[in-house]
Amino acid sequence: MAYMLNPGAQSESNIEVHKYYGGTVLVTAFLALVMQAFLNKYGRWSELVDLPLLVTIYFGVSRRNPVTGMFLGGAIGILQDALSHDNPIGLYGIAKTIVGYLASTVGARIDTQHPVSRLALIFLFFHLHQIIFAVTQRVLLNHPEPFFTLRLLVNSLATAAFGVALFALLDRLRRSS
Amino acid sequence: MLDSTLRQRPLALLAALVLAQVLLLAFQIKRDHDVRLIRYWTAAAVMPFERSGSWGFSKTGGIWSEYIGLRGTRAENTRLRTELDQLRIRNRELEGQAGEAQRLGVLLNFHEAHQDTPMLAAQVIGASADPASHTLFLNRGDRDHVRRNQPVITPDGIVGKIVEVFPATSQVLLINDKDSGAGALLADTRTHGVVKGSGDPDPRLDYVVNDEPVHQGEMILTSGEDRIFPKDLLIGTVSIASQGNPFQTIHVRPAARLDRLEDVLILLTLQELKKPNESADGASAESGAPGIVQKEAPLSAAPAKPASPKPAGASSANPTPAVAPPNHQN
Repeated sequence: MAYMLNPGAQSESNIEVHKYYGGTVLVTAFLALVMQAFLNKYGRWSELVDLPLLVTIYFGVSRRNPVTGMFLGGAIGILQDALSHDNPIGLYGIAKTIVGYLASTVGARIDTQHPVSRLALIFLFFHLHQIIFAVTQRVLLNHPEPFFTLRLLVNSLATAAFGVALFALLDRLRRSS
Repeated sequence: MLDSTLRQRPLALLAALVLAQVLLLAFQIKRDHDVRLIRYWTAAAVMPFERSGSWGFSKTGGIWSEYIGLRGTRAENTRLRTELDQLRIRNRELEGQAGEAQRLGVLLNFHEAHQDTPMLAAQVIGASADPASHTLFLNRGDRDHVRRNQPVITPDGIVGKIVEVFPATSQVLLINDKDSGAGALLADTRTHGVVKGSGDPDPRLDYVVNDEPVHQGEMILTSGEDRIFPKDLLIGTVSIASQGNPFQTIHVRPAARLDRLEDVLILLTLQELKKPNESADGASAESGAPGIVQKEAPLSAAPAKPASPKPAGASSANPTPAVAPPNHQN
């Protein structure tokens, strides 16, 4: 565990950069958005999992390119804002851009293949995403968005657990080197 | 090149992306009064500079207008003072012209009220060099048919008579000159006398016996007996009346302001002036002459041409009074 979470345990050059088949990233991100929007029709339980955030984190840590990660996160966030009925465009975009950048940066420094490390990463990024989202809401919209609640904790745990499984599934889409 | 730069500096790119999305949000979000956030921010960012610029411009403009711009003020002040002096002179000229117009207006009213009486307006152009001699020079002379012994009056009262006639000017002997005299009568009692100059500013009314009641302020009129002044023209009022020997000593305050005459009328006839409301053209009483005291019976109409009366014993060459004392003197 200490080996997996220690950024200095392994040099960047020794960390493998995963490749995916063409269109995999775009199709996956698109499906995540569609499914998130589709599942929200069937009750609040779908709020337990933030699929666009999971996709952003996964491809960020897998591609390990901060530029790609931030653009992907920004695009997914803007599309998520666009699909929401009252969010101004950019609210999720800002949060996911930063998360994508940080995920790529972290993925370039530590090994994120272990499920436990993935669980921890997803949990942390979920709350970081929420903090950025809340700050943006408070500063720009004057909305008292909470930084942390018990429900958010439950959601973060559920998203992390679901993310570990999703990441394993998405690992199968890698192109063999 | 750009791609490699961005790859080397992803943090800068992250900041740019986040900033772009913040701006995107600012375009969409509306704050109070339905104003977009981008406007708030833009105003907040620009206003301090505009305020500073405005402050700087106002200070610079103040320095310019209060110091640098005043470099020509001294010359302008001098020019304005010169202009002010010129305007003051011009103002005095206009005031003089206005006063002259007013005086001429009075003369014109008088003339219009007595259109059937030939008279000539004249301007005083000079006075005697001898302080003891009360004479004036008029700008009318022989060319204007002015003759000796013609009466000179103002709407206020009589002034004197023509004693010398020159081609373009004439000389007037004022009623307060010691050589002057005019037949007079007291308006209330119709007592006759002679107004003679005494060398003082005020002439005297002589030959009024002590028994005649004379009170201060009583009007003194021309009697017409001197054959110079028409009858019932105002000479003045009694200022002082006291018992004397053998006649009363009566000081007369002339009705015409003899010390400041500028425009006068020369009567070209000896005929008695009509009352204004009896004039042929029906001139109004308001435009009549205050120096003319109304009498009971007006005389006949004026002659068609200017008269040149030369009554006997009225020559100015004669230093004695122009009229003889009334017969009822003691």
